[in-house]
Amino acid sequence: MTGMKTFLMPDRRRFLKTAGAAITASLAAPYVVRAQEKILYVNTWGGPWEAAAKTHLINPFTAETGIQVKTVSPVSFAKLAQQVKTGTYEFDVTTLGGGELVRANQAGIIENLKEPYKGGLFENGVASHAFATVMAWRTDKYKDSPKTWADFWNVEKFPGGRSLQRYASRVIPIALLADGVAVKDLYPLDVDRAFKSLDRIKPHIRVWWTAGAQSTQILRDGEIDMIGIWHGRYFEAEKAGAPVAMTWNQGEIERAYWVVAKKTPNLENARKFVEFATSAKPLAGFSKAADYGALNPASNQFVAAADAKRMPTSPDNYKQTFEQDMVNFGIDPAELAERFEEWVAS
Amino acid sequence: MGISLSKLTEKTNIWPWLLLAPLGIYMLIFFVVPLAEVAIMSFTEPKVSLANYQKFLTGALYQRVFLNTFMTAAFVTLCCLLVGYPLAYLMAHSKPRTAMLILLLVTMSFWTSFLVRTYAWMVLLGNNGPLIAFLQMIGFDKPPQVLFTRFSSTLAMVHILAPYMIMNIYTVMKKIDPALIRSAESLGARGWSLFRHIYLPLTAPGIANGSVLVFVICLGFYVTPVLLGSPREQMIAGLIGHQIEEFLAFGLGSAMAMILLVVTLIILTIYHRRFGLDKLWG
Repeated sequence: MTGMKTFLMPDRRRFLKTAGAAITASLAAPYVVRAQEKILYVNTWGGPWEAAAKTHLINPFTAETGIQVKTVSPVSFAKLAQQVKTGTYEFDVTTLGGGELVRANQAGIIENLKEPYKGGLFENGVASHAFATVMAWRTDKYKDSPKTWADFWNVEKFPGGRSLQRYASRVIPIALLADGVAVKDLYPLDVDRAFKSLDRIKPHIRVWWTAGAQSTQILRDGEIDMIGIWHGRYFEAEKAGAPVAMTWNQGEIERAYWVVAKKTPNLENARKFVEFATSAKPLAGFSKAADYGALNPASNQFVAAADAKRMPTSPDNYKQTFEQDMVNFGIDPAELAERFEEWVAS
Repeated sequence: MGISLSKLTEKTNIWPWLLLAPLGIYMLIFFVVPLAEVAIMSFTEPKVSLANYQKFLTGALYQRVFLNTFMTAAFVTLCCLLVGYPLAYLMAHSKPRTAMLILLLVTMSFWTSFLVRTYAWMVLLGNNGPLIAFLQMIGFDKPPQVLFTRFSSTLAMVHILAPYMIMNIYTVMKKIDPALIRSAESLGARGWSLFRHIYLPLTAPGIANGSVLVFVICLGFYVTPVLLGSPREQMIAGLIGHQIEEFLAFGLGSAMAMILLVVTLIILTIYHRRFGLDKLWG
């Protein structure tokens, strides 16, 4: 009878509790459903990136393991952090850049992973692919090809408008190379010297670009004559038929790492996916399709010679480039960004 | 009779509130609670202190960007008003078909994505674009740089925001009783005097409403000025985004958001004292 009573005429507290639970359940429904289905959620950049990932990583993974995968975009570092805080998971795996990876691992928001291939593990991220910030220019403007960042800074020999990315930790090493610092002495960064070097090029920078599409557009349309640009974005301008050229020399390489969100309910499948996505053949296909360089050395055997020319990690190109060193960076990236923004706007 | 009627309305008065309840609960869960969380985070992340606010007050960058944001918003609002007022007048005083056509042209820009419009301006104002070609044709040897200046970013923002101004002024102008104008004329008001003393005050609610709307929306812009403007044109929304997305500095980002909110509310309060905010809603 008491049971009947509580069932039919619940007291207020219990009613509120049930109602609250019902509301929470309906709000959280998508997440609850997905937890039961054990679908793996992969965070992607959307667009061509996602298309390449689907063809070469996700679909073959599902075919091999039977694990269903869905994608969520765009990539959000902040969301990765919030997921762990709130316990609500929108995605299980994502990719991070080197600087973010170090911060994520320090903050304890990513799971431990094991090394899937030799040298592939760094700060609990598995090295997947790389891109390079390279120097590119208009061939209708310059007869001689510039070769180094010092040439980029040399406005007497190469007059014309310049552009660099509005991104401190990418620009500072380049400014030091332009000032004559050797690659082996680059890190930890001499920030004061870098800003002195930047002062010299500043009047000639017409645009500090902020979006990839924007960088392609200003090079293709000749808004500027020389630019520091991601290699994939450069090839888009070249494909569009613009009179442009680039050099791998002193290209600045940055790595992307797969990571697994801390305490995700899909931990085992997430680890399986990361291992699959960084294995030789899928990674080679993905890197070619999305204009990256594969970081698993075993991938090189699946890359045709013509495609290797377009990759920053193929042996011929790689030896001309240098890598960002986020461990010996020498300054807190947030602090550097603040100083840089202040400098740009002054 | 009068008393019983008022009692009746008092009784029925609960219904509007009940009808409002779903919206009220929705706003509470999805707006008030998250906002409170942002407020709390600004004092507690990474630890309980006033450090985030202190950082904002001591960093020259934050204050300059903040000031730039408000100046930009004010200037864009002024430009929208100067462009929008005559256009709204034209719409309100032309044949319905013509008015519809203008309305269509004004709102057409809403049909394309915001980002596409921004890139379109880059093409139109760029070195190889039609504007520079035209300037060269009429005899400019070295045409001035148009893209990546304050001019180009202001132009694009006014283009995006002007419809809000125009629609607000237009609806008010349509409601003006022509008899008022006629009687003013019969009393001898002409030209400037008629406009200054009769027409302008009657359209004031539309101006106020449109200006507040444009100003507040503009405060949150950042893609357009960064893509089209000069390097100096950083907006506060961009800085907040950077703090959170790149550096996971939820505390500092929240503090900046709170300061933006409070300063905006202060401006609206002063405005309310001066002009009466309730006028806005007709």
